Amino acid sequence: MSTLKHKGKGPQSLTANELREGLNVWLTAEFEWSRDYKMALQTEDEAVMEKMQAKGDADENDNLVVGVYFIDVEPDTGLPVRYREKFRVKGPSYDTADELGLKRAN
Amino acid sequence: MYRYDEFDHEIVQSRVKQFTAQVERRLDGRLTEAQFRPLRLMNGLYLQLHAYMLRVAVPYGTLSSKQMRQLAMIADKYDRGYGHITTRQNVQFNWPELTDVPHILQDLADVEMHGFQTSGNCIRNVTSDPYAGATAEEIEDPRPTAELLRQWSTLHPEFAFLPRKFKIAVVASKTDRAVIRAHDIGIEIVKNEAGETGYHVIVGGGLGRTPIIGQTLRAYLPREELLPYLEATLRVYNRYGRRDNKYKARIKILVTETGIEEFTKQVEEEYATLEPLDIAVSPEEVARITAYFADPDFETLPAHSDAYKAKLLDDKDFALWAENNLAEHKQDGYAIVNISLKPLDLAPGDITADQMRAVADLADEYSFSEIRTTHQQNIVLPHVKKSDLHALFEKLQKVKLAADNIGLITDIICCPGMDFCALATARSIPLSQAIAQRFADPVRQRAIGEMQIKISGCINACGHHHVGHIGILGLEKAGVEFYQVKLGGDASENAAVGQVTGPGFSQEELVDSIERLVDYYIDIREDGERFIDSFKRLGMAPFKEVLYAA
Repeated sequence: MSTLKHKGKGPQSLTANELREGLNVWLTAEFEWSRDYKMALQTEDEAVMEKMQAKGDADENDNLVVGVYFIDVEPDTGLPVRYREKFRVKGPSYDTADELGLKRAN
Repeated sequence: MYRYDEFDHEIVQSRVKQFTAQVERRLDGRLTEAQFRPLRLMNGLYLQLHAYMLRVAVPYGTLSSKQMRQLAMIADKYDRGYGHITTRQNVQFNWPELTDVPHILQDLADVEMHGFQTSGNCIRNVTSDPYAGATAEEIEDPRPTAELLRQWSTLHPEFAFLPRKFKIAVVASKTDRAVIRAHDIGIEIVKNEAGETGYHVIVGGGLGRTPIIGQTLRAYLPREELLPYLEATLRVYNRYGRRDNKYKARIKILVTETGIEEFTKQVEEEYATLEPLDIAVSPEEVARITAYFADPDFETLPAHSDAYKAKLLDDKDFALWAENNLAEHKQDGYAIVNISLKPLDLAPGDITADQMRAVADLADEYSFSEIRTTHQQNIVLPHVKKSDLHALFEKLQKVKLAADNIGLITDIICCPGMDFCALATARSIPLSQAIAQRFADPVRQRAIGEMQIKISGCINACGHHHVGHIGILGLEKAGVEFYQVKLGGDASENAAVGQVTGPGFSQEELVDSIERLVDYYIDIREDGERFIDSFKRLGMAPFKEVLYAA
């Protein structure tokens, strides 16, 4: 179950981590999970948020995602408000693998 | 080095089977995340800012070449081709997938490794001097004691759910290369007036949001009393340590609030109730463990190597590397080699799988297959013949592991920070790189001399900023990173917590400010003074004025 219910201000998006791969995902307008934040559904509609929460809870119960929670979104930029969430969107500003072109063998 | 006995093998293999089944149950929903989380953490598996992170225990920082090759294989097969050395001598992988972790744990178990005691409120992986067994400074090799503590603390039922995590470090020389005074318990192997070997036990040190330097619990503890006495200490902590507030739960808070005299009294009273012989191990068992750490078959060599001396004259780069990266060995004709993981363009402590394999090969060829990790996030080859040093250096150059900056201003301790860590408040890696680039000139680095810059990306202080000569704490306010500075910290046997200078800086401002600070120190230092010496002589005021001069 989610540990953080919606209690933010302004537009909201729903985020989580994939259970298997652990990577960050956001709920899309199609109510699917995407690793691409650009696809994230952003809304201020309480009724939609309730449906999003229900979807998050259901997928957490179905062991698809973990740690579902809403994030505040800046209305003008569409980016997350919190600095930490911006980093979850952008990924590391530095990763040795990216720097050296390393990748998983398989 | 220590080899697993049948019990060690059984414990580790059982854990792999258990965790494999636990992952299966998690994936099919028989375990919820709330139920699974403590189980994965007991195996070192965290969920970080972007992905899972697996922390692998490297007990007392000792690795064999075989183990290093296995870590390289894991990095390639299951991660993104590199690993990260932590400030507790462990190895972290930043991108494993949950479904791969049981396979990784099996691969680790195959080379006598695991992720036990790298997370959770237990006694964590015991750390030690990376020069153990090699330096002439030590009374004895501290690793048998560290191994004894590993065996005692592994899966100890009474200490599996302590109020908070518990870190122990062991050294056996006056020079402290393990920051023992910043540990929950620091152990220094000492001799008493009668010449007997025992333990100086230090308690209540720690960094984090409340940095405290440890205090003496027992100035001399007879060797055979170590485990019973630590058992009594842990019992007192388990009984009185706070569980209502995680920020007040470490033993350092208990010792500070109780007072060292009263705390010592409580430990001694608890100790008096124990049956020490029920807990202490026999001299035979100690001897059995110690035998695993016997010296390798050193050759009898002259103290000086003509070949080595000739190469120092021939090869300037080699001479510079040798000046900074070598330490005195106890055996004539040998040297301790520090391999810097602080190149100017990569993250401190990161090492690629190819570099891991190269280090393993070099350890086989030149250092009796032994490797050490250091809390400074570097690597040590402990036993290299002086006559082999130049050949080793040339091979290190080929794999970009010949940075000659050990102990200098670019040998920066740096946590993963906001780039990876779920707890971080600001990035630390880009700042460390900016500082390293600013002081890239090797001549200038040497002119500055010994300097320890330590950077943490949050108040939890994994980057040891409290004990940096220059300590830097990354914070964030309204979406903007800023960096608070401490000066005068000391991670050595003269341990001290640095003092906060004042308001924070942006990254750009801070690099300029540190440069002014360093230039000022160069101007005012007296003969032979390191930065920390000048700071202790003059105090905060002049340094603070320079830091904020812009």
